[in-house]
Amino acid sequence: MPAPVPYGWRSTVGRLRHVWRTSLQLRTVAITVLFTTVGVTLISGYMSISIATNLYDARKQQVLAEARQATASAQQLFDSSVTQTGTIDVEAANQAAQLAISNVTASPGGSQLAILRTPGQVTQQTMTARLSMGLDLSVISEELRDQVAADDGVLYSQAVSIPDEERIDPGLVVGSALEVPTAGQYELYLVYNVRDVQETLDFVQQTLVIGSLLLIGTIGLVTYFVVRLAIGPVRLAAETAERLADGQLDQRIPERGEDVIATLARSFNRMADSLQRQITQLADLSRVQQRFVSDVSHELRTPLTTIRLAGDVLYDQRDQFTPTTARTAELLHTQVERFEVMLADLLEMSRYDAGAVELDVEPTNLVRLVEESLEGIRPLADERSSELRLVAPGGYFEADVDARRVRRVLQNLLGNAVDHGEGKPIVVHVDSDADAIAIAVRDYGLGMDEAQLERVFDRFWRADPSRQRTTGGTGLGLAIATEDAQVHGGQLDVWSRPGEGTCFRLTLPRRRGEAIGRSPIDLPPAEPLDGALQPDDAPGDRAAREGER
Amino acid sequence: MTARILVVDDDTALAEMIGIVLGAEGFETHFSYDGEAALDAFAELKPDLVLLDLMLPGLDGIAVCARIRETSGTPIIMLTAKSDASDVVDGLESGADDYVVKPFNPKELVARIRTRLRPTPDSSVETLRIGDLLINVTGHEVTRDAQQISLTPLEFDLLLALALKPNQVFTREMLLEQVWGYHYKADTRLVNVHVQRLRAKVELDPDNPAIVMTVRGVGYRAGASTSP
Repeated sequence: MPAPVPYGWRSTVGRLRHVWRTSLQLRTVAITVLFTTVGVTLISGYMSISIATNLYDARKQQVLAEARQATASAQQLFDSSVTQTGTIDVEAANQAAQLAISNVTASPGGSQLAILRTPGQVTQQTMTARLSMGLDLSVISEELRDQVAADDGVLYSQAVSIPDEERIDPGLVVGSALEVPTAGQYELYLVYNVRDVQETLDFVQQTLVIGSLLLIGTIGLVTYFVVRLAIGPVRLAAETAERLADGQLDQRIPERGEDVIATLARSFNRMADSLQRQITQLADLSRVQQRFVSDVSHELRTPLTTIRLAGDVLYDQRDQFTPTTARTAELLHTQVERFEVMLADLLEMSRYDAGAVELDVEPTNLVRLVEESLEGIRPLADERSSELRLVAPGGYFEADVDARRVRRVLQNLLGNAVDHGEGKPIVVHVDSDADAIAIAVRDYGLGMDEAQLERVFDRFWRADPSRQRTTGGTGLGLAIATEDAQVHGGQLDVWSRPGEGTCFRLTLPRRRGEAIGRSPIDLPPAEPLDGALQPDDAPGDRAAREGER
Repeated sequence: MTARILVVDDDTALAEMIGIVLGAEGFETHFSYDGEAALDAFAELKPDLVLLDLMLPGLDGIAVCARIRETSGTPIIMLTAKSDASDVVDGLESGADDYVVKPFNPKELVARIRTRLRPTPDSSVETLRIGDLLINVTGHEVTRDAQQISLTPLEFDLLLALALKPNQVFTREMLLEQVWGYHYKADTRLVNVHVQRLRAKVELDPDNPAIVMTVRGVGYRAGASTSP
């Protein structure tokens, strides 16, 4: 079961990824800091190692030089301590040698010494082994002693750790062999504490780390500002372009300086200028044209009214005319009427084009509205012997719509259905759900093919120009119906198959201004239960449709 | 007595044609071709009804309508080439009783004129109460506390229709049929605008009506009558 915590974590990750993807600045700074860190780490690591090596080497050379001198002076002292008689006071010599060694070794950090007898010798006398105070003999390893005992005149050295109170210091032990007359071979060990070197090194490393961190920080900060400087104008351009796209045509970018950014700004502004000019020009043209259509339509109305009245006066008196004149009066009458309808449609279209349409919303019962429209079309349907049926599972409430427009859409769809219905039944479906209301007008007539379907909402398009029309369509009906649906925030859809018929479906939001989701009626709608209206030649198609549900 | 109709239209051919149509129906017609002349002719002729084109040179139809309404409740039917919402509403708000959109058919025009000229239907009662108003049916008078309120014949008909059936809720369509004589779907803005005009005259507080009540989603009904 998903707990809320991983969800929160995932959303945080998601947010970070989003920021990463969207912020060029963040990406640039992060990448710069990352590479700087790698570079600085490599460089300071190299510096640290090479400084350490140098420091130790220098110190070792110094120590070896001292030890060599100390060994030489001790040996000389022992040698010169032999009296004329060939005897030697080894203890006194030892004392003196130790003093001499101390004088020679003045290394910082101090040194300690040990004079040890090489084991396994038989001599006239033995000299006491000597150790500096506090020297822990364990720092002198057996291997070193073995090497020194071999007495080949070479100084041997070994890096060791010197335990010192609470800490362990790095140290260096240098061993050499001494030949004490009459007392045999002794080994001189000088133990140097090189803590000072370590301290210097620590300090250097600490400085390097701090310096590196400061450097990385500085570079990150510099990158941030540089990127901001460079991206700022780009971002401004992007925002301005966005506003331009939203239709705020007077948006411009400030032009400063002579650099590439200023060039971008100038080019951008030139583009915006030209865009604005062209759009304004087009809008003006379009306005002039719409105005012209509207004016022409209005100007036509007054003479048309006179013609209409005159025609009607003549038409009413046609009984008194000769048959030819009477027929002329009839033709005048019907064609003036047709002209009127066209003019009205043209005006309605020009109003939509000009965006001068206002909804006159009132609570309307859709089912009642459909019933009224069905009554209106019944005489025509009877003429074509098309049965009219209403299937209304829903829609029995007052919806906020412009009843005049919905009625007009419905009349248009019903007129089309009668015209193309081939005398077969016409079924009107009305249904509603929580968000939307829908009316579908289904005929079982000719139907349309793909190419016709594509053009069905075009202005002045007719499915078959040669077909006789009874409803006096102007070719603008469906274009106006589409606009009527859209002005409600709804839509008009069509389904059609050649030979199976056509279905137009009007879907409107139940409350004004709300979005419609799925239409409450399927397209084409489910067949009425008795199945009597099923076209007899499409069983496979029906099965497919039922499979979908 | 033949009704006298003043036709105001700057298109002389249309005016003449309307004259022929109305003459055939037995009306007496007079013509004016601009706004100023129409006001003079109105004062001189005292017509029973005015057919008024909205688009006139000089003083336009809406101004003429408003000027006539200042002095008289004579029925005014607008002729308009525009069915656009704003034009029609402007015309109705300036006091026109009804409107006809060009091109209209002669029967429609005559029907509109006859409705406006017909006398108020006979009523068995002489006085009615609606809210705190007293309606004198035969005298065509409406009073509040003996103070007369002047209404146009149309406004009187509208108020009377509501007052005659105080318990009934009238849809806009019912009122269109009863008061305007429309037997088919017509423009419900006619009702809305005239209810507003009526309220402005008879309500003490038009924003909070007590005489012509709105029934949301249905229409209007008369306010309960109260004794003065």
